[in-house]
Amino acid sequence: MLFLRRTLPLIIAFVMGVIGILCFYIPHSAAESLELELTKWDRIVAAFALVLGIYSLMRLHWTRVRRQNPGWGYSFLVFVGFAIMTLFAIYNDGQGPLNPQEIDTGPFVWMYNNVQVPADATMFSILAFFIASAAYRTFRARTPEAAILLVSAIIVMIGRVPIGAAIYHALPDLAQWMMDVPNLAAKRGILLGVSLGAVATALRIIFGIERSYLGGGEE
Amino acid sequence: MKAFLLNLDRRVIFVFVALGIVIPSLAPVRMPIPITKDVQAIYDTIEDVGAKNGTVLISFDYGPSAKPEVQPMALSVLRHCFRNQIKVIGMSHIPTSVGLAQRAFETAAKEYGAQYGEDYTFLGFKPGGGSLVINMGSDFHGAFQKDLRGSDTAELSVTKNIRGLADFAYVICLASGNTPDGLWIPYGQERYKFKFGLGCTAVMAPDQYPYLQSGQMNGMMGGLAGAAEYETLINASGKATAGMGAQSFVHLIIICFIVLGNVMFFLYGRQKGGAQ
Repeated sequence: MLFLRRTLPLIIAFVMGVIGILCFYIPHSAAESLELELTKWDRIVAAFALVLGIYSLMRLHWTRVRRQNPGWGYSFLVFVGFAIMTLFAIYNDGQGPLNPQEIDTGPFVWMYNNVQVPADATMFSILAFFIASAAYRTFRARTPEAAILLVSAIIVMIGRVPIGAAIYHALPDLAQWMMDVPNLAAKRGILLGVSLGAVATALRIIFGIERSYLGGGEE
Repeated sequence: MKAFLLNLDRRVIFVFVALGIVIPSLAPVRMPIPITKDVQAIYDTIEDVGAKNGTVLISFDYGPSAKPEVQPMALSVLRHCFRNQIKVIGMSHIPTSVGLAQRAFETAAKEYGAQYGEDYTFLGFKPGGGSLVINMGSDFHGAFQKDLRGSDTAELSVTKNIRGLADFAYVICLASGNTPDGLWIPYGQERYKFKFGLGCTAVMAPDQYPYLQSGQMNGMMGGLAGAAEYETLINASGKATAGMGAQSFVHLIIICFIVLGNVMFFLYGRQKGGAQ
């Protein structure tokens, strides 16, 4: 069992990782064909991962419902929503599951347009209120660095909306400069650091040093 | 008064923000919208694509939560393309965006008389992320054998001449997640060298400037302001332009609260070891 649980995944990760890197650097039709084939396999695996994701989500919420953890009612609603949308998708506006999904009419489309879209958009919109409250309480010029951040934020906030130009004509240009120069410099530095970290992590996974992706179950 | 301001109830701030949204929405305040060079670049590229009879690929990579910011961009870009008789192919890396993309296509196509299959098609969602992009790069019909309505992409007029991503005159990603810098640039633009533009939420925009400077991305619409700029460019005021008044006033209100918070902090808060 140890072979199946640990050794085989490590071998697959090593072989696929090395092939993936080599294919990227070998400009030959054989390497391109191999890469194309591997990416097709990857897409099939990704489709199965969706099923696994649904299973994992359901198991998590079922545990909450079974143990009646605080807020278990919300977990129950996950099952209600999932069941309703699955049934509507199978019903497919009367055409059944074997025909292409109806995308213009029917209860599935209605639920998407009238429940999911407004609910999601509302949740995201509420952020504006909490950001305003948090900004009042925490955005303080306690140090020179915080003061620089504060002034920059105010310039960008006001310079990116039309009223900025109405207040002072140069504000949009100043906001654009802040995005193009100081913001760009900081983001590029962060990006380089993150990318080097990603390369190091990828190599650790390929060579079997990093094994957390195998899970921490009992052996 | 001092105690009230030092311990300002969050509900007071919420009321001000709500008024800042509701009043300009009910009584619209029109202000000139300055155009940034990054939004202008997308507009100019689409004009250029129209002159060369090219095909545009739009990746709808945003969910309903980003609809207020990104959907106006989708509508504006589609309107601009259909107005210039540009063929458009849509797809998605995110399943929840399919309905929004479908609605955007229907609205814009109806306005300009664009025909499904001839002028546009929508391929829908497919999993795979980076692998899907690589597949599309070398074998487009293999990656998407059928569109969302079940038509064969090898036979459909709008898709039959597309062999890979390099055949697109322009690829635009409309995103609320990491698909532009996580999928489209590393697996698509870097390998197949197509022109790439981005429309994204405001919080994502600062992260994208390194790609603009490197030329991997030739233009960007950031947030509702970016969408409003594009609406201004195509002379089709929509929800983004209408929202600029509310956004302007809410930004001002937040700035006023930040200034007030700092004044209170410097006058009283520091003596007590920091404001609450």
